[in-house]
Amino acid sequence: MIARWVVGGMFLFACYHKIVEPAHFAKIIYGYYLFPDVSINLIAIILPFLELFAGVALILGIYPRSAVLIINAMLLAFIVAIAINLIRGHEFDCGCFSFGTTGGTFSVVQLLARDIVCFFLGLQILFFDNSRKWCVRQSGSILGNLSSN
Amino acid sequence: MPLKEITKELILLVGIAVITAFTANVFSPKGIAFFGDWDTSQGVITAKPKGDVVFHELEIGDIFSAKAIYDSGAIFIDARAEEDYRDGRIKGAVSLPVWQFEELKHEFKDEFPTHMMIVTYCSGRECDDSHVLAQCLLDEGYMDVKVFIDGYPAWEEKGFPIEQ
Repeated sequence: MIARWVVGGMFLFACYHKIVEPAHFAKIIYGYYLFPDVSINLIAIILPFLELFAGVALILGIYPRSAVLIINAMLLAFIVAIAINLIRGHEFDCGCFSFGTTGGTFSVVQLLARDIVCFFLGLQILFFDNSRKWCVRQSGSILGNLSSN
Repeated sequence: MPLKEITKELILLVGIAVITAFTANVFSPKGIAFFGDWDTSQGVITAKPKGDVVFHELEIGDIFSAKAIYDSGAIFIDARAEEDYRDGRIKGAVSLPVWQFEELKHEFKDEFPTHMMIVTYCSGRECDDSHVLAQCLLDEGYMDVKVFIDGYPAWEEKGFPIEQ
């Protein structure tokens, strides 16, 4: 339950400024130099709300395994995108929590480490196959439904 | 693995998120177009939000045209932070950092009458401060305002007159 609240809370916190300033977030996505032009605005529109709903679902325990599946897919994409830019030495604003937070290589490594830690917390949630505490809608783990355990 | 159940849950969660995202974007005063202008060869990039300040028709996209306008005596205005201006600027350019416009505008208007030809610039096609400044100046009654979109880095690279 604590892992759910930590990861869910982090995504709720992360989505706020992206929802409030979508144009700024779109520019940050552009700044990764990884995405086709036609996809940038669509990502800027959809991604913050995916973070919002997955975060809320995880905290409230509404289909937590699917919520964490979405979150881990996003984390994996963030990790790959950040790692690519780190390898090619391109400085960029990650746009993770607030705009203009990534000043240099050290902070990029820090945020990469943070995403990797979250990813493993997500895996723990994904494979947890007992009854989850404080869940509005139980859904078992990735390996099986709760009723079939 | 209960693929069927997981697929159903995913469709539900992602579906609600996507529908809400597009609905919120349509009604939000800060909503953006579904597709932005991200091709720098076409001008300054923009996500095309509601109330967008980037108007491509104001842009001088060719550096030699910008130089010809400079030679004709237009006033070049640097929209970047004062620190960047001090580090290097187009020779004769006036500093008017876009975020200090409100506090500096009266002084500026006293010095430069509204009929003058003005060209704003910042640091290139990924920077829209020059467009923001151009709109501020147009709102203040300046009639002949253009935006030099390649900005200081391209000007310096071409070996055109600069000062530090």
